[in-house]
Amino acid sequence: MLLDVLNLTVCYDKAMLINDLSMGVDTGELVSLIGPNGAGKSTLLRAITGLVAWEKEITRRSAGRNVTLDGSITFAGERIDRIPAHEIVKRGLIHCPERRRPFREMTVLDNLHAGAYLLKEKAEMEENLDKVYQLFQPLKARSRQISGTLSGGEQQMLAIGRALMSRPKLLCIDEPSTGLAPIMRAEVFEKIGEIRGLGITVLLVEQEVSAVFKMASRNYVLSSGKIIAEGPGDRLLEDEVLRKTYLGL
Amino acid sequence: MNEEGWPGSHTEGDMIIDIIISSLINGSVYAILAIGFSLIFGVARIVNIAHTAFYMLASYWIYFGTQTLGINPILCMLVAIILVTLIGLISYKLFIDPIREHEGAVLIGTIALAMVFQEIMLISFGGDFLGVPSLVEGYMKIFGVKVAYQQLLTFGVVLLVLAAVWALLLKTRLGLAIRSTANDREVANLMGMNESRVALITMGISVGLAAFSGAVIVPLKIVNPFMWMGPLIMMMAVVVLGGLGSIKGSFVGAYILGFAESLVVFLIPMGAYLKGSVALSIMILVLLIRPEGLFGVAFEEER
Repeated sequence: MLLDVLNLTVCYDKAMLINDLSMGVDTGELVSLIGPNGAGKSTLLRAITGLVAWEKEITRRSAGRNVTLDGSITFAGERIDRIPAHEIVKRGLIHCPERRRPFREMTVLDNLHAGAYLLKEKAEMEENLDKVYQLFQPLKARSRQISGTLSGGEQQMLAIGRALMSRPKLLCIDEPSTGLAPIMRAEVFEKIGEIRGLGITVLLVEQEVSAVFKMASRNYVLSSGKIIAEGPGDRLLEDEVLRKTYLGL
Repeated sequence: MNEEGWPGSHTEGDMIIDIIISSLINGSVYAILAIGFSLIFGVARIVNIAHTAFYMLASYWIYFGTQTLGINPILCMLVAIILVTLIGLISYKLFIDPIREHEGAVLIGTIALAMVFQEIMLISFGGDFLGVPSLVEGYMKIFGVKVAYQQLLTFGVVLLVLAAVWALLLKTRLGLAIRSTANDREVANLMGMNESRVALITMGISVGLAAFSGAVIVPLKIVNPFMWMGPLIMMMAVVVLGGLGSIKGSFVGAYILGFAESLVVFLIPMGAYLKGSVALSIMILVLLIRPEGLFGVAFEEER
């Protein structure tokens, strides 16, 4: 397994957002996390990429919420649950966050450069930039534009492009289609398929179940911080209760 | 108190030149102060009330270094910047960093820090108004008005530093990390930027800029333990006018306020006493009419 999550539990104060959860992603897969709002999908991604641990650290200082994280997360054979968030990207694991969150006051090009922050070689960065521009051609024409002024679809492309700039082995994308027009959603899914074609493993959190089932090799269905079902889309659809209660199909 | 070194012109034309020169110099110093203040606010959400106290520390060091120890003024300036930056970083590590996530506590903590510096200066140097002679003597005439070389030198050096800050922010990898962290520190973390280290470095740059402005303006100002308060109010007004967290806003706002200040000081009798009220009036007006300032962005919930 490229990514292995074992008995993970995440609590914010008394709320248990992730409850003794185990899951994994193999190299080359496209795995999806689906489930209702508040199931813990985003929290799981945030735990994997170190943001929960970071939040734990800063809330401890502010005497605010009490965040706890138990269990283990292993990436490419190395425990990463004790590594600070900013060092995780070095290991080839990148998180494209919910609501896109480009650096709004910076240009498209600066955003992409920020994504390649840890790359030492300038040539490597230029090469990545070419690849990203090839994948997302509209970004090239807008490279000098302030990213906050882009459309939602373009911002999503920028966010994914920024994540790709670090040359990840595993790309975690959180709800890329939310808030986009149907035609843009289709395009975003198409691009995610292309990214997988480039040999990048993808862990995708999505609400759009029908589109996800067509492309994902495996799916995890989350509810109340637990995995309640796992498998390829067609098999999950066979389960009547699951389909009606959790997938809304 | 009147801190203006160069009133004393008599004709109207002379006065206009005086106003322009003093507003350019004061505006530039406010710009450097406000940019430093904005930087650390943007990156770490630290409202550093002690910012101008570091400016005061640098001024005192220049006084002490050149008058008491007799060190070469240029060398003294460099030492001032290094020394005060170090003091800034140590106080950041000891007093600000541990409470950084607690915005109210940071505000109170930095006020306390400024008071501590003020009292230390009061005990060490007394409450007297001290002066530092010009680095360069003499003057030249611009449109028939005497302009001291010291004023031109100050203005030139300040412009150079502003350009250097601009280049640092826009052209370097560190600048990219600073801007990214100011935009969204969580995502900056995800991109591999060590957010707490960026905050520390930004604090260093911020205090360094305050120290620089204190060191370079000192021949034009009067050194005393309360000299941090006037610039603090001005700087706050600049930041509110320009938009909190906006570097461009700080720059533009600084010259607008520098100009407003000079107009009041030169045109209204006893105007020097009104500097603070002008700044505060502008601040209140901006907050009423356009709270995000000239170039500010409305703050979103997440960062």
